[in-house]
Amino acid sequence: MPKIKKKRVGYALDMTPMVDVAMLLLTFFMMTTQFRPEEATAIDLPASHAPFKMPETDIMVVTVNREGRVFLGVDAQSLRAQLFGEANKLRPSMEIEDRAVLHDLLIQARIANPKLRTLVKGDKEAPYGPVEDILNILRQVKITRFNLVTELEKN
Amino acid sequence: MGAVESGGESKSHARAGKKHKKKRRIRIRIDMTPMVDVAFLLLTFFMLTTYFSKPQTMELNLPADEKAQVEVAESNLLTIRVASDGQMYWNTGMDPAHQIEVKELRKFLVDKNKENPKLITLLKIDREGKYSMLIKVMDEIAIAQVTRFSLAPMSEYDKRQVQKARAS
Repeated sequence: MPKIKKKRVGYALDMTPMVDVAMLLLTFFMMTTQFRPEEATAIDLPASHAPFKMPETDIMVVTVNREGRVFLGVDAQSLRAQLFGEANKLRPSMEIEDRAVLHDLLIQARIANPKLRTLVKGDKEAPYGPVEDILNILRQVKITRFNLVTELEKN
Repeated sequence: MGAVESGGESKSHARAGKKHKKKRRIRIRIDMTPMVDVAFLLLTFFMLTTYFSKPQTMELNLPADEKAQVEVAESNLLTIRVASDGQMYWNTGMDPAHQIEVKELRKFLVDKNKENPKLITLLKIDREGKYSMLIKVMDEIAIAQVTRFSLAPMSEYDKRQVQKARAS
């Protein structure tokens, strides 16, 4: 007996809708994505219930890392060139070891851009000492209103 | 995957060569597979790198001038001291300090302020302590809706008070 050949079932799957959705998602992510600004030091933020979103433009960030080292950064490149010198304008922030230098730079930055908002960004594990110094300096240069950067606490 | 066809049906196409000298329809077939592959690659890349949660900020207003002295009655002053190991101690006026846990702080602040609406909270954190303690306590202060509070440096006197509270 001749063998009955099994019919091969050829099936075609229409991928068009899936590809459409994928493209849609792709455009969405491409439009909404914002790359995390590079940072001089890794910061693990403490959590709080504070409701305000962090501003993105006209900001000046004083960072305290885990070891208590202090960094100052501004978002505008022109201002960075002015404060830290032309050579350092591409670096997001500079380490400031001397408290008096920080004091002067804060004043200069505020003169250059009076709209500048001050953010203090401390690591979860950072010692309080340098932070206290920064708060005192801010008080001295009459920046009385500033923001502490935190992460939203989940509960 | 994702192939696009355009042009006539395949049956008529097969016959067209033999009998009729019809104009040949040119079937365009573009293989979309590589494009779709790249699209998926980009999609995964953007999905993985994007982040939605922007950091929050806590707004803080400090008095402009350190010299501005405010006279406060002792009974209206609540001092919270945070020692270097993160232990918290509170006292009103010149009373001896008592220990308190972070968890109890919210209710404690609400109760104290209800008891005495003129209460002013003073927060003193040891320089050797952690920065996160400042955030934690300030967060509790904000949640308890205590508007009158101030930060002060921890002096030797404060450290002695903490020692005393620990010994007792």
